[in-house]
Amino acid sequence: MDVLNPMTYDAEEDQLRDRTKYSQMDKHIIPVEFQQQPVSTGTTIVAVEYDGGVIIGADTRTSAGTFVMNRFTDKLTPLTDQIFCLRSGSAADTQAIAQVVTYQLDFLSAEMNEPPLVRIAANCVRRMIYQYRDDFLAGMIVAGWDKKLGGQVYSCPLGGLLVRQPVTLGGSGSTYIWGYLDNNYRPNMTKDECYDFVLKGITLAITRDGSSGGCARIAIINKDGVERIDVLGNDLPKVFDL
Amino acid sequence: MGDDILSYNGGVALAMKGKECVAIACDKRYGVQNRTIATNFTKIFQYSDHCFVAFCGLATDVQTVSERLKFRTNLYELREQRKLKPVVLYNMLTNLLYERRFGPYFVFALVVGLDPKTGETYVYDSDNIGAVSDNVNLATVGTASEYIFGLGELFFKPNMNSDELFEATSQALLNGVDRDSASGWGAVVYVIEKDKVTVRELKGRQD
Repeated sequence: MDVLNPMTYDAEEDQLRDRTKYSQMDKHIIPVEFQQQPVSTGTTIVAVEYDGGVIIGADTRTSAGTFVMNRFTDKLTPLTDQIFCLRSGSAADTQAIAQVVTYQLDFLSAEMNEPPLVRIAANCVRRMIYQYRDDFLAGMIVAGWDKKLGGQVYSCPLGGLLVRQPVTLGGSGSTYIWGYLDNNYRPNMTKDECYDFVLKGITLAITRDGSSGGCARIAIINKDGVERIDVLGNDLPKVFDL
Repeated sequence: MGDDILSYNGGVALAMKGKECVAIACDKRYGVQNRTIATNFTKIFQYSDHCFVAFCGLATDVQTVSERLKFRTNLYELREQRKLKPVVLYNMLTNLLYERRFGPYFVFALVVGLDPKTGETYVYDSDNIGAVSDNVNLATVGTASEYIFGLGELFFKPNMNSDELFEATSQALLNGVDRDSASGWGAVVYVIEKDKVTVRELKGRQD
């Protein structure tokens, strides 16, 4: 509703908006320790295609401000048997999106009588993010395997973009490893090389980013299904000791 | 991390009493909001043979207040021709902080000390405008202070010897910082006894 345009102005809606606004005084009265910070998966997520599938990985920290709410979160959320999404941004928003898209794909696969394509799953996610772009804070990566195009990685960042990329990063920790990606990623790497790349990248981001931490969860998705690997703290590769 | 000035740089410190020994420990992270810049930023400073202070909060104030306090304690030692006692140290700190009552430094402090002759132990906790607690068994300051308090209360026993004290302090600190994203990346523990001070560096989770 545009307040300055008399044709679209609705007095009732305007009054309602005013009445339901949170009081600005709350910010001054409530001490800062009790003001809840929203829960976010300030995060590091990595996804890379290889010949035959995709390898995806994420850290395991969920934080509310500086408080670590969950030290062993699972940010690799299945949308179907062979399509996963990686969640970053507001935990509530991304969980809601994943839930809705899982339902939509379930329904679609019943209609089509075959598993949905990765591109379709990514488009469902992208559609939700775009539709609620002013309200949501969700950056997601959709990756998986389908019969038609094999392993695919699609990036669905904040505004509602959809783009397929051979390798992509997401989350607050990704800023620390773009340089690592540019230096170390080569096209047509083998499965093991991709796994090492993903694991090293997550470890480097965990070391530098305060909002990423815990362990590394990795999944390898190919025509045979999904293989999940949890790399616990002691087993993370050694990086330069700051 | 929000715009809370005390969690801008992060950091945490803990002090615990034992039998004729005290321990003071801090993490080693120096970061700016989310980003960790260095992991060698210790927050504990020595002011006399058996007097230590830990400062937590805004990093620039940690450095400035520790240096300004050192200036005052140096002059005290020159004038009085004797070493500082913990009670004198915490009084000087209170004074320094209260001078800036209406434009305060953003550091919270822990003062620990030991009297080498009598073995009496001192642990004091100060807020950023100089309100000092009584001589307590356990005190923590910093962004993870609440989490470490819980663990500290659990591990604390009265009259611990220096080894037990070291274990209790380190475990409380290392596990408490796991729940805080603005502290951690290693720790340093000082155990102060009548005849010696033992410094140990701990390697915790680097996340």
